[in-house]
Amino acid sequence: MPDIRLSHLSRAFDKFKAVDDITAVFAEGTVTCLLGPSGCGKTTLMRMIAGLEMPTSGSIKFGERDVTHLAPRRRDVAMVFQYPVMYRTCSVIENIELPLQRDRSLSAAERRRRADEVLEVLQLSDERDRHIGDLDVGMRQKVAVGRAIARRCDVILFDEPTTNVEVHAKLALIRAFKEFRARLRQTVIYVTHDQTEAMTLADQIALMQAGRISQCTAPRIMYEKPESRFGGWFLGNPGMNFLVPRGGEDSGLRFDVLPRPLERPAAAAGELSLGIRPEHVEVLLDPAQDTVPARVLRSSITIGGQNLLSLAVGEARLKAKTAPGVPQADGATVFIRCPLEHTVFFNDGQRLPEAVRALG
Amino acid sequence: MRPTSWREHAYHALLWLVALIFFAPIFWIVLSSFKTADQILAVPPKLIFTPTIANYTKLFSSASFPHQLFNSVVLSVAAVLIAVAVSFLAAFSFSRFKPPGTNFLMFLLLSIRMLPGSAAILPVYLMYVGFGWKDTYAGMILFYAMFSIPFSVWILKGFIDGVSPRFDETGIVNGASWLRIITRTILPQVMPGVIAASIFNFIFVWNEFLFNYIIGGISTSNIPVALASGLYSNGGVDWTFISALTSVYIVPPILVVYFFQRYLLVGMTFGTVRGEV
Repeated sequence: MPDIRLSHLSRAFDKFKAVDDITAVFAEGTVTCLLGPSGCGKTTLMRMIAGLEMPTSGSIKFGERDVTHLAPRRRDVAMVFQYPVMYRTCSVIENIELPLQRDRSLSAAERRRRADEVLEVLQLSDERDRHIGDLDVGMRQKVAVGRAIARRCDVILFDEPTTNVEVHAKLALIRAFKEFRARLRQTVIYVTHDQTEAMTLADQIALMQAGRISQCTAPRIMYEKPESRFGGWFLGNPGMNFLVPRGGEDSGLRFDVLPRPLERPAAAAGELSLGIRPEHVEVLLDPAQDTVPARVLRSSITIGGQNLLSLAVGEARLKAKTAPGVPQADGATVFIRCPLEHTVFFNDGQRLPEAVRALG
Repeated sequence: MRPTSWREHAYHALLWLVALIFFAPIFWIVLSSFKTADQILAVPPKLIFTPTIANYTKLFSSASFPHQLFNSVVLSVAAVLIAVAVSFLAAFSFSRFKPPGTNFLMFLLLSIRMLPGSAAILPVYLMYVGFGWKDTYAGMILFYAMFSIPFSVWILKGFIDGVSPRFDETGIVNGASWLRIITRTILPQVMPGVIAASIFNFIFVWNEFLFNYIIGGISTSNIPVALASGLYSNGGVDWTFISALTSVYIVPPILVVYFFQRYLLVGMTFGTVRGEV
């Protein structure tokens, strides 16, 4: 399976740049999730990789093969769309077999064997001979996934395949996706705006913003060490807390949530901010080392029974996720600790590579 | 069970009355086809009589009628098949590739329907005489197909617009040719539209008189022309001939409408909003 190499790839619609000078490599046999808000260019980028959209400039290579100007059928890609696109006059097995007919080297028996294998992987064997019109949307989408993987293409593209299916079908689809990934190591591009899906499925996430890839790395790294404030804000529910220092820089950087001032990094010439995930903010009932007092503005319960607290520390506002048991009354005083090892510092919105030390 | 209100009774009575008014001529003509000439013209009308199939025997044993019936069937079916095939491809092209001036071309197509047939008859006649197409099957089929295409394009474009382009793209990515995409993915989804267009066109060609009379001839005359030309016999209207011929003439459209009425309804409401897929 080849890797996918994008070089200075751009696509403009009149004056609007949907994809703006993207250079990236998506490694062979991996799942790359294109993640980003609506209109950030992720679908356009994927359609260019499929050959359904021609780039304004730049190139696309599958391994060493330049496919920039090749027709989709010559690229050896398969694609699953947001809506399950089915051949309505056919049964489930026929839908999966149909694209295989293009491959003259496959005998009818081999085609059938391959389709049956896919049905088994996707746990669709019982539906094998049912007419496609008798299936619900979730099942049809599963068949669409089956049709894509049956061809054993170099590259498979998924364009938000779970957006229009209900929750149970979505989970079944994700299970099926993982199952086929365990057996076939094709290079996969998966477009989604669902960060949970991206974190669960991806080997790497390409986070997109305004037509550009702002960061492309493993999900865990992207979550822990976002390259930009946008990454910190977009990933997580709720996203990262961002806090700005309050004056008095002569004696170091002072943040309301930290008990001691910090040494100003040499590279931080612009607007500095501190980022910390809500689950990394420790909330205590009594004062302890490195804690500062905070007032509970509002408390709500999240999925899994965790408390989500909105806190005020001086001028600063932040959110914290805590285990059940911490007082939830509005106006209550608690003590918070923001461990430096879980903080990220941004200079003009971009992460500072160097660590920031406390003074004293 | 909910008691029926007097309003509903009145409504149903009104519907029955309208239906009977519309059905009365058909009932009269079918009944007349089983009467003798004297019985047809009897005053008061005879509802109790000994039916006869002599009118039908005479009709089918005549030299021209079987040929004219054959002509009507051939012209209608061939013209409809050609018109729908061409219209479907044209509609697909307008819908998907949107060539420059699509809106204007669509208006132009529709404007052909605004033109009364009599306005086009003279140039068409001269052209057909000039080309030697007058009174030929090919010429007549071509004309009827051409006249049916604009309306069919309009109907079918509405249907194809309702089919998501994702279907095309799936086919493209899967390596299918355009022909395969059209036949395997688009056509099955717009089949109600294709059938609706076919029915409308069939009824139009089946009923067409003017052009068949002018640019047709003995070889290609259809039933409406036969009806007009055989109307008078022995110095008066030949009611036995008219009633038998009309009874045969109305059977195909009635069968078509009866079996495909749901598609007719779909055709009349084409262009309504539908889902993505």
